[in-house]
Amino acid sequence: MGTTSVRILSSAPIRSATLPRVSSWTSPAAVAVQDGLFRALAVLRVIVLVNAVALNVYRSDNFDHPVGGAACVGTMVLWTAFATWAYADPRRRTFLLLGADLAIALALLVVTPVVKGDGFHATVPGFWVMAALLAWAMQYRWVGGLLAGLLLATVDLSLRQEVRQSDYGNAFLLVIGGAIVGFMCQSLQQMATAREVAERDAAMAAERARLARAVHDGVLQVLALVQRRGRELGGDAAELGRLAGEQERELRRLIRAQEAVTTHAPDTVDLVVELSTLERSGTVTVSTPGVPVELPAATARELLAVARACLDNVRLHVGEDAPAWVLLQAFPDHVELSVRDDGPGIPAGRLEQAAADGRLGVAESIRGRVADLGGTAELVTGDFGTEWELVVPRRAALA
Amino acid sequence: MTEPEAPLRVMVVDDHPLWRDAVERDLVAAGLDVVAVAADGREALARFPAARPEVVVLDLQIPAPDGVAVTAEIVRQDPDVRVLVLSASGEHADVLAAVKAGATGYLVKSASREELLSAVRRVAQGDPVFTAGLAGLVLGEFQRISDAPTTDPAEPSLTDRETEVLKMVAKGLSYRQIAERLVLSHRTVQNHVQNTLTKLQMHNRVELTRYAIERGLDAD
Repeated sequence: MGTTSVRILSSAPIRSATLPRVSSWTSPAAVAVQDGLFRALAVLRVIVLVNAVALNVYRSDNFDHPVGGAACVGTMVLWTAFATWAYADPRRRTFLLLGADLAIALALLVVTPVVKGDGFHATVPGFWVMAALLAWAMQYRWVGGLLAGLLLATVDLSLRQEVRQSDYGNAFLLVIGGAIVGFMCQSLQQMATAREVAERDAAMAAERARLARAVHDGVLQVLALVQRRGRELGGDAAELGRLAGEQERELRRLIRAQEAVTTHAPDTVDLVVELSTLERSGTVTVSTPGVPVELPAATARELLAVARACLDNVRLHVGEDAPAWVLLQAFPDHVELSVRDDGPGIPAGRLEQAAADGRLGVAESIRGRVADLGGTAELVTGDFGTEWELVVPRRAALA
Repeated sequence: MTEPEAPLRVMVVDDHPLWRDAVERDLVAAGLDVVAVAADGREALARFPAARPEVVVLDLQIPAPDGVAVTAEIVRQDPDVRVLVLSASGEHADVLAAVKAGATGYLVKSASREELLSAVRRVAQGDPVFTAGLAGLVLGEFQRISDAPTTDPAEPSLTDRETEVLKMVAKGLSYRQIAERLVLSHRTVQNHVQNTLTKLQMHNRVELTRYAIERGLDAD
């Protein structure tokens, strides 16, 4: 039963076995990112259109063929309206649409010498070609941005009689800008996809934990019942009951350990989970706060070892089935761990005798180990029993 | 322990039939009157008003509404009812939530029949049934409250003596042993333990009220 539960608990193997790889091209999060980008582009299209129309109207006396120029501007207005509608739905963002978008931008560049004459300075579409370039970058990433940029730049430069410094600069920016925007879109989509996968994993883990809780609760109920009835029936049934009790404890510890897995930093350990391994039904009771108590892994392990040594001592000096209690209290800067038994106490002088004989008694060993952690260990003993009080700072001594 | 003339009226809430029957059988065999049983939270809340039990023995992991919600609701309806929580998983958060909601006792399900009967009787008399584990949880909770950056002076906190007593309970000392060590009467020790529970429940109400005010839910 224990192994079955462990299978349910571990998440990594299940994930890699059942989840297909999620593509950053098609994942819903990537599409959502792209939708957002194209919405922004729709706004940009209008801005560059207004800019282009205004410039062409302002320089209308530059046109050799004013009617042809007006037709070009009209084409830009119509295409902008159509493109805004067409790009709004991801299903319409086909190669045909993007191809047409770029082709129209290129065509408007090509007709510029016709309508404006060979010695033109500014092309008819001007910055309006940016819209097609960015659409390519968003849809086909850095490769698309680079291709569209190269095409637009090449056509633009090849039409000019004289290439000025600023013409070259603009063309260079088109090429570089297309590639950079494409690369950024890709990164955004990949990040959104990664986050979507992580969120889905978290939701799955939570659901798995919820199911595991239901399963575990059922198993625990039965184990507790077997344990209880077994004890009442006696004989072989009592042995069954004892085994059920062991499994119950083990399962409960696993559940706690599982709950702690997601919360703590890698180099720290939840001392509550560690200490719960010491619990033994009927003999050792472990009391802790209800929240995780994070300690550096080395400190937690050492404290656990010390607590175990204290309990071993109880079994040795008081009895195999002697009851003992472990209490953990957590404060902001330190933890207090006490281990108590109801035994006859340590006879006066025994510890001193051990020290005088040159033997390093258990008590000294415990004190030494706690001192190494920068803490203190106090021993109270009498006819009421023996009690260790260990106080250890939460940040381990660096020594 | 003086037995009242009328048998103690108990209600058992557990979704596992095997368990419910076992607990019911044990209680009846000991001469208690099981006035109602319920398999889930809805049944429990439906049957509670008519059954008028003195003690509700309640499993925390039941179909909705869960044990914590049931505890809060029946204690609201009848502040004199005593709730003894049984939990198989012993989940810290659940147990603490139930105690905050008004439960006065907690037992793991693997406890023996004698432990269960004794717990039911003690809870009926108004004694909180504290396991060492529960005391550790409550201690931790008060520590957490006092560590919180915004400590309201009006908020209930434990006296030094209450902390001392609670710590001893968490270390497994019986009330008798604590009374001996601190030279107090058994009753005084019980009162201290009772006070810690009352304060924890009070703190819970303060927290809920503050939450409601912050969320603007008090505006009616």
